[in-house]
Amino acid sequence: MTTGAEPVIRMFHVHKRYGSQIALHDINLTVVKNDFVFITGQSGAGKTTLLRLLFLDEVVSEGQILVNGVHLQRIRRAKIPFLRRNMGVVFQDFRLIHSYTVYENVALVLETAGRQKRYIQKKVRQVLRMVGLEDRLGTYPQRLSGGEQQRVAVARAAVGNPLILLADEPTGNLDTTAADMVFELFRQLHTQGTTVIVATHDSRLFEKVHGRIVLLNHGCVESKRTT
Amino acid sequence: MKNFLTVKIPRGLPRGGFNLTTLSSIFQRVRRNISTSPHLHWAATATIAFSLLIIGTFTLVYVNVNGLIKSWQANIRVVAYLQDGLPEGRRAPLEQGLAKLYGVGEIRYVSKDEAMNRLKGQVKHRLSLLEGLRENPLPASFEIRLVQGWQSRERLDPLVDQIKQFAGIDDVEYGQAWLRRFSQFIAFFRLVSLIIGVLIVAATVFVSANTIKLTLCTKRQELEIMSLVGATDAFIQTPFYIQNMIEGLLGGVIAVGVLFGTYKLFIGGVESPHLLLSSGDIAFLSPAACGALLSAGILIGWIGSFLSLKRFLRP
Repeated sequence: MTTGAEPVIRMFHVHKRYGSQIALHDINLTVVKNDFVFITGQSGAGKTTLLRLLFLDEVVSEGQILVNGVHLQRIRRAKIPFLRRNMGVVFQDFRLIHSYTVYENVALVLETAGRQKRYIQKKVRQVLRMVGLEDRLGTYPQRLSGGEQQRVAVARAAVGNPLILLADEPTGNLDTTAADMVFELFRQLHTQGTTVIVATHDSRLFEKVHGRIVLLNHGCVESKRTT
Repeated sequence: MKNFLTVKIPRGLPRGGFNLTTLSSIFQRVRRNISTSPHLHWAATATIAFSLLIIGTFTLVYVNVNGLIKSWQANIRVVAYLQDGLPEGRRAPLEQGLAKLYGVGEIRYVSKDEAMNRLKGQVKHRLSLLEGLRENPLPASFEIRLVQGWQSRERLDPLVDQIKQFAGIDDVEYGQAWLRRFSQFIAFFRLVSLIIGVLIVAATVFVSANTIKLTLCTKRQELEIMSLVGATDAFIQTPFYIQNMIEGLLGGVIAVGVLFGTYKLFIGGVESPHLLLSSGDIAFLSPAACGALLSAGILIGWIGSFLSLKRFLRP
């Protein structure tokens, strides 16, 4: 974390419970602009839950979260899409629309934002080229391998040049070459000013970029360090 | 903290209004929705068409019966019987007095002889019944036609009371019992039409909304993903509104088409519609009524979408 840099995410005493089960406990975290943060920990440590709280797929049980100065507990429902448009999210289960082609899945982000058709065509091709799927534009997701679907999900998250990129196990289904390709894309976005938060238990990724590592254990922050 | 809270969301992607790209995307999704679930699309269209067909049939009957009722009403007359032996000289002032009353239109004098001749004309096969009469028992009368709008019971009763006040008038008759039954029938018919119409529309909206819910359930995941990548409710909902309004319009066109075809086949072919009704032709719905049916289809589609989407996308 760079001292004096503009904070884009702030979490204050965040708790998340599902019934009696505690998913996150007293999380305090600040992420500044252009930070590269790894959220790591064992399965069930709360990595995915933490990310889901940030794009309002879940709401906190207690505490406060500020994203780009917007208080997530007070945001009006109508404003949520505009908050999400500033975030690119790579879901662990990809969440691709199976009745849409690869192109359509990625283009959807720009269509919802009202981008011009020509721009969409150019941008989608460009980002799919970066993840090595330029030749699969018209293919439907179910005809792709798990790794390819993951790369489509990454392309969709990156296509809008988001201010914040949230990735949940983005390399979980990829071989080394594909994982490197995806990580290169993250690095490029980071270089362009995007704040990247990656939830992963793959410690090999930590060596690829200079960033911070937040270790979660049973829903609590156990340690914070830099790579 | 205060300063932090006031920071605005920087614009990574434009906030996005509805432009050509968005519209194109929306219509593409309408096409996709229809082509991926054609059965649901046709089920919704058929439901609306069937309901509008019932409403259209009812409207057709209502319009024609209403027309018949109006033509009957227009023929309502009041008969004021004169006292027997009323001097001839008092007849003209009495007629002038009646003519001054509000609601009274044309007045025609029917003498005792004319009344008897009419009766003979009506019972010409049983004239023997009248042979025993030594003198004409029928009274002379005034047949009073009413001006337009005075045929209802509410206006007619006070007018009759006024006529009865005139000296020389023995009795007044205007088919009170018939008119009372007739008025009750009209009120009942209108009420039943209204109730049935409302019930059919409500049932159609309910069925339509549930058909849309089925479509929404099959697309739940797709809609959730759209929402997660920044689609507004309007972006998500608009294709469903458009699709259902198209289904409503299509249902309306089918209903009007089937109704017109049936009308031509069964009613239009009847050479003498007077066999079915005592006066007037059986008319088809006016262009305005057909337009109203199509609009009703579109409205049903819209309301169905509104109800189902409102619940489905509730946070």
